[in-house]
Amino acid sequence: MLSMRRFKAMVAKEWKDGIRNPHILLNAGMPILLALLFAQKDGDPADLTFLTVPILVAISITGAFVQAAMIAEEKEKNTLRALMLSPATKLEVLAGKSATTVLFALIVIAACIVISGVPDVNIAYLAILSVLLLMIFMALGTVIGLIARTASESSIVGLPVLLFFIFGPIFVPDLDVPVLMNVIRWLPSQQYVVAITELHRDGAFGSIAGQMLNLLAWTALTGALCFLAYGRQRFDK
Amino acid sequence: MKQAIIKVENLGKQYKKKQALKGISFEVQQGEIFGFLGPSGSGKTTTVKILTSQLIHTTGRVQVLGNDPGRSRRPAFLARIGVLTDNSGLYDRLSVLDNLVLFCRLYGVSEKRAGAVLEAVNLSGDGKTPVGKLSKGMKQRVTLGRAILHEPDILFLDEPTSALDPVNSGRIRETLLEMNRRGTTIFLTTHNMQEAEQLCHRVAFLNNGELSALDTPQALRLRYGDRTITVTTREGSRVIAQNEAGADEVSALMRSGELLAIHSNEPTLGDIFVQLTGRGLE
Repeated sequence: MLSMRRFKAMVAKEWKDGIRNPHILLNAGMPILLALLFAQKDGDPADLTFLTVPILVAISITGAFVQAAMIAEEKEKNTLRALMLSPATKLEVLAGKSATTVLFALIVIAACIVISGVPDVNIAYLAILSVLLLMIFMALGTVIGLIARTASESSIVGLPVLLFFIFGPIFVPDLDVPVLMNVIRWLPSQQYVVAITELHRDGAFGSIAGQMLNLLAWTALTGALCFLAYGRQRFDK
Repeated sequence: MKQAIIKVENLGKQYKKKQALKGISFEVQQGEIFGFLGPSGSGKTTTVKILTSQLIHTTGRVQVLGNDPGRSRRPAFLARIGVLTDNSGLYDRLSVLDNLVLFCRLYGVSEKRAGAVLEAVNLSGDGKTPVGKLSKGMKQRVTLGRAILHEPDILFLDEPTSALDPVNSGRIRETLLEMNRRGTTIFLTTHNMQEAEQLCHRVAFLNNGELSALDTPQALRLRYGDRTITVTTREGSRVIAQNEAGADEVSALMRSGELLAIHSNEPTLGDIFVQLTGRGLE
């Protein structure tokens, strides 16, 4: 059972700590910087890359790396032990962190949309796709945070995720490497970009059903992985 | 009659290659200050971790507040104990008060309690200071404040005054004694013998995962003392055995008016530990 009192206490703590944490602020600021750079680039306004990439980067970097940094730092500073010796449960601690990551992500996504503009698609579908993608990256961020021993190490451990999941869909299509493209096409980030393109072209839910299923499968898979890894986390052996 | 609040029977803990605890048994009574003394690596921290549900034991039985700590419903059990560990585990970027308020909310106690606790640990003027700017001793006092915030039934303390100056050590001991008078049972692990003598109703000596002795400090001193006294006369001091000949000698000194002072020679807890285990407590 989740105690709302303890959950709210965790969110208040995470927010206060997060806005003073340079590592988290850097991760949250990076997508905004990237959106600003994209906005400077001369591009075709009809090209959705200019609209989807800043949102994709905002969701993935904030979702994965803010979450990972928060979890890794609790282990690094030995504060997780203090929390686990209080009545707070593991679920409440994770829920508090995840809610704070969502808050950061919403702010960063909003800033990126203000800079880049809103893609001309059904907003409700865009929101559903974005929520699913955020959940996937937060689950990956939790696993990265559990693997990393320190907050700084979470950036290194998360680097393959950054390269593969985020930059894959942005750069691989231009590389003309079919083998790599076959892998990339199944990634949630690629499916997200494709789904927004399809929505822009067609606008109907039927056109994105495949991408939605893919994102749901990724959500279930990464969610299970996250809870498995988090459940096995111990202070001592 | 007071009841046992902690019961430990044949407790054993095996790490991969090391047996940290070799079947120890003891009980702690409600309202007692129980000293768990031993050098580094003797198994003190392992015992505390088992008692506070951080670690599962390999053999034996443990009951704390009527529950097996490893299998109890954690939030309810943890709300009744307070733990001061050797590693502070505070949020450096948050203020002292914010650190305490977080735990007030987690324990469900009034946030006003944070102010009272700051007073008790002599930090009432530092509530708004970020924890990262505090000295080691001040951090230790914040950690202690956090452990007593919810007025637990049992307080587990690992070296509570190790980083403190004498003034603050004294103040913390007073706070602990006051909590004990109000009913908190205290389980104190330390290698500070003086502190153990000042605070503890009973002490247990732990060495290489085994209990060497368990009794009140006074009883241990009497049991392991060499039953001698030191008398001081104008000619100097000398040790006299507590037997018939010694009694005659003291009596003669008193009658002659030569006796200036007389002291019983009780060993310290540190002396007794060395006597029992052949090693020091540091």
